[in-house]
Amino acid sequence: MPEEKLMFKELDPILHSQLRLSIVSILMSVDEANFNFIKDETQATSGNISIQIKKLQDAGYIKVKKSFKNNYPNTSLSISKKGIEAFENYVNSLKKYINPK
Amino acid sequence: MKFKHMENPTLTPEQSLLLITKTIEETKERFKENGHILVFWGVLMLIVIGSQFILSLLELYKFTMYPVYLYPLGGVYMIYIWINERKKNMPKTIIGNILGNIGWIIGLNLMIMGFLFSDQLGDAMAPVFLLLFAFFIIVCGLTIKFRPLTIGGVLVNLIGLGSFFLDRDYHGFSMMLGAVVGLIIPGILLNYARRKAYV
Repeated sequence: MPEEKLMFKELDPILHSQLRLSIVSILMSVDEANFNFIKDETQATSGNISIQIKKLQDAGYIKVKKSFKNNYPNTSLSISKKGIEAFENYVNSLKKYINPK
Repeated sequence: MKFKHMENPTLTPEQSLLLITKTIEETKERFKENGHILVFWGVLMLIVIGSQFILSLLELYKFTMYPVYLYPLGGVYMIYIWINERKKNMPKTIIGNILGNIGWIIGLNLMIMGFLFSDQLGDAMAPVFLLLFAFFIIVCGLTIKFRPLTIGGVLVNLIGLGSFFLDRDYHGFSMMLGAVVGLIIPGILLNYARRKAYV
C-alpha cells in the first residue's frame, strides 16, 4: 500500500473527495441551497454533482428535498446532523495531520 | 473551486483545509448585504426629510406629510428586490432570514409610528425613530461583521439620544445626519469592500 494511502486511512472517504467536500462546505455555510446554486458555485457538470449528491445522501450526510418551483423541478439540499458531525470530525482529523501535536 | 471535468482527485490534508476555508469564505461573501440597498434608504430618507424641511421653510405646512409617502414606495422596491433574489436561486441562510425579518418588522413599525402616532409621540418622534433605526443598523453590522456599519449604527444611536435634548426644529437635521452616517457612508463602503473582494 502506498505511504500516502496509509497516511489518509483515518480520513472519512466520503468527505475526502474534492467535489463532495466542496458541496458539504457550501451546505455548512447556508441553511439550504438548491442544485443550481451548487452548480454555479462549483462549476461542475450536473451529472458529476448528481453522483456526488447521491453518495452524500446515501451516507446520510445531506438531506435532499425535491419539489416544483414555478412549474420546474427544484432540488433543495441541506446538511444533516450526521453530516455536521462528520464534517467536524473530518476537520479535526485534518488539523491533527497538519499539526500532529 | 472549479470542476469542469469529471475528475474528483484525492486531496492532501492541507489542500482539503484550504478548499474548505475557500469554499465557506466564497459562499459567505455572496451573502454580504448589497451596499446599494443601504444607500437607497439613506438617500430616500434625505429626500423625504429634506423636502419636509424645505416645505416648512416655505410655510407650506399642509404639504409636509406628502414626502413621507415615498417610504411605502421604498417598500415596494424592496419587494421587487426580494422577488429577484428568489429567482436567482439564492440559498436560504439563518442570518439572512433573521436580518430580513428584523428589517421588515422595524420598517413597518417606523411607518406605523410616522403615519398614525406622530401626535402621541410628539417631540420624541425623531429620537425614537433614530433609536429603532440604530438598533437595526448595529445588529446588521455586528451580524455581517462589517465595522463601518456597526460604527454608523452606534453614531445614529448617539444622535438619537442627543436629539432628546434638541428642539424639535432641529430634529430634521438629526434624521438627515443619521441617514448619512448610518446608511449612505456604510453603504458606499460596503459596495467598495465587495468590489475589492472580487478583484
